[in-house]
Amino acid sequence: MKPRVLVAMSGGVDSSVAAALLREQGYDVVGVAMRLAPEPSVPVAKRRGTCCSHDDFEDARRVAERMNFPFYVIDLRADFAARVVDNFVSEYLGGRTPNPCVMCNREIKFDRLWSRARALNAEYVATGHYARIERGSDGMFHLLRAADDSKDQSYFLFTLGQDELARTIFPLGEMTKTEVRARARALGLATADKPESQEICFVPDGDYASFVERRSDPARLRPGSIIDGGGKRLADHAGVHRFTVGQRRGLGVASGERLYVREIRAELGEVVAGRREELDSSGLIANRVSLVDGSIASGGELSVEVKIRYRHRSIPATMRVDSLRRAEIRFASGGPAVTPGQACVFYRGEEVLGGGFIERAITEGRAN
Amino acid sequence: MPIYLDHNAGSPLRVEAAAAISRLLADAGGNPSSVHRAGQRSRRMLEAARAQVAAIVGAEPRRIVFTSGGTESNNLAIFGAITAASRRRKIISSEIEHSSILAPLAELERRGFEVVRIAPDSDGRIDPARVLAALDGETALVALGLANSEVGTIQDLAPLASGCSKAGALLHIDAAQAVGRIPVDVAALGCDLMTLSGHKLGAPAGVGALYVRDYARIAPIIFGGPHESGVRAGTPNQLGAVAFGAATEAAINAMREESERIGSLTMSLLNRLRETIPGLRLNGPLAGRLPNTLNLTFPGVLGESMLIALDLEGVEVSMGSACAAGAVEPSHVLRALGRSVAGARSSLRISLGWDNTADEIDAVEAIIPAVWRRVAAAEPLSEASAR
Repeated sequence: MKPRVLVAMSGGVDSSVAAALLREQGYDVVGVAMRLAPEPSVPVAKRRGTCCSHDDFEDARRVAERMNFPFYVIDLRADFAARVVDNFVSEYLGGRTPNPCVMCNREIKFDRLWSRARALNAEYVATGHYARIERGSDGMFHLLRAADDSKDQSYFLFTLGQDELARTIFPLGEMTKTEVRARARALGLATADKPESQEICFVPDGDYASFVERRSDPARLRPGSIIDGGGKRLADHAGVHRFTVGQRRGLGVASGERLYVREIRAELGEVVAGRREELDSSGLIANRVSLVDGSIASGGELSVEVKIRYRHRSIPATMRVDSLRRAEIRFASGGPAVTPGQACVFYRGEEVLGGGFIERAITEGRAN
Repeated sequence: MPIYLDHNAGSPLRVEAAAAISRLLADAGGNPSSVHRAGQRSRRMLEAARAQVAAIVGAEPRRIVFTSGGTESNNLAIFGAITAASRRRKIISSEIEHSSILAPLAELERRGFEVVRIAPDSDGRIDPARVLAALDGETALVALGLANSEVGTIQDLAPLASGCSKAGALLHIDAAQAVGRIPVDVAALGCDLMTLSGHKLGAPAGVGALYVRDYARIAPIIFGGPHESGVRAGTPNQLGAVAFGAATEAAINAMREESERIGSLTMSLLNRLRETIPGLRLNGPLAGRLPNTLNLTFPGVLGESMLIALDLEGVEVSMGSACAAGAVEPSHVLRALGRSVAGARSSLRISLGWDNTADEIDAVEAIIPAVWRRVAAAEPLSEASAR
């Protein structure tokens, strides 16, 4: 038998097929479903297509039974709360827009789960992510976009370095979603036609503001004013966590022109509104930068493409990484709205070079 | 073959129980309440099983009511006694009972009853003096486990009978975990009610019994026909009862030999693990414990991780309170014994039984330390995981 691989199973079709494919290839598959979210506070009727429900675990268990490999539900609620949810809340309170899926991959799936894999004598961790890992002739591992560009999830995986890539398998990287569903049906998996999950798993009703309010000490909320670029007060608001840079709706400002959130000054409780063109930026500063191959940092200025939101196209830019794991990104031409807290991922063609978390936009001239 | 060390959750079917089931399947009788001879034959088998089950606790057969298991027996004892004692509003129990006692008591509390839960000492012993001190003219029922399913502590309950009787309260003993593992006698304990469970001693799950000293003092909780002395309506689970009877008889016959053999295998395992795992802690007392049960805190690891790692190595143990959905709360028993949340999360229950062999325990004595070393190195307890 091939080595043991711990497969993270959500009960969805992707991870079901990932596990089944590895089993067919002769790996010693051990399936695990991670209980991550605290007990749901949302009525069952409103929880559609989210993970961590009992039904989802039972779906995963049925796949394991069908494919004849062991399966366990593991309780990572405390780690998830401490390392993903608390971060999510404090980012919103700080006026940033977090991406909890990136944090979950970094902190849970490719850290916490990896420890569990070693404890269970597994050599690899596998997930149903759409991304590819290739080993170059120099022995280095490369993280590549998925063959199915419409499903590509490499954006969420930029924190993986050489150590992680060496022991990770993405069985779906070469497949399209249609192929995955067809494979699931061919294997008789109960999850073949399950709908996609869309929302953030621990906020199944999509109401982030209420979630942040429930999870925060009221003293940490920062209510204040919506102001224009000149500092004029336009309206009041109940807290900066209710806003995201680039947002148009819900400003509660009566104005002749369309206004967007341009900047959030969390300490002051100020939300700066502006016209569409005032959102444009020439680049950004990213912090907590990680690189798939750390040696590229010494290369000075690099030509890359960057993706600053999961659903955005990547755009050409130049990048310089300093020793403090900060990167300065300059867009080749006028850039879109930059949302602090989101991930900025660096690509070169198919390949993920790394990424970081957006600290702020650069609107003109050189950054400090 | 996996090595099964989770007998407190459920013991594998005894050979004698399997044989009794086969015989009954070949000769499936009628309804034991029927007049015809098929019914009479069924009744004879059911009553023979009742006598076998009664014998293991020294009871008269007619004092035994067949139920669907320990949980139903505890529910019948508690709700049945409370309903019959209509005026009294107080129940005395402990913090370390099985959920089939704790949950009914929580429900009664919601309905306005007073529930006193005595705290155990750090080894899980309930001081009988504290129970007696809580007894008064308002007390309808004292409900306590004879042997704790998680840590194996055996309670000294004999001193309670006269106090309960004087106060006019019923004494209910949950002996599900004790019967078949240690000698149990209803007369020596002086109890009014006693719960027995089939699958803890090698019968299939789905059958249990309640000993009832005086049928006038409990009311039914399931209504229907006049079966089972009028306190448990519904045609009894004939197959389960016959298997329960056979398993009970086998357990009585084997008890002395088994408890010595299993006790010495258990002690050997404990001693070997203590030598190889520095900081290993036994939860519950060294003496006055079920001979088959070890509840151990493994330093620096999550019990959940150890449990899965051991399962993948073919050793089947448990966390005490099982939840297949993966939301394992720290054991209420270990918390009541004063263990920290982290300590409770680092603990496993190993419970031996009739089918374990010396060779199996030899193998386990090597596997557990190796797995512990691997898990401790790979996945040290994080602050978050211990919360």
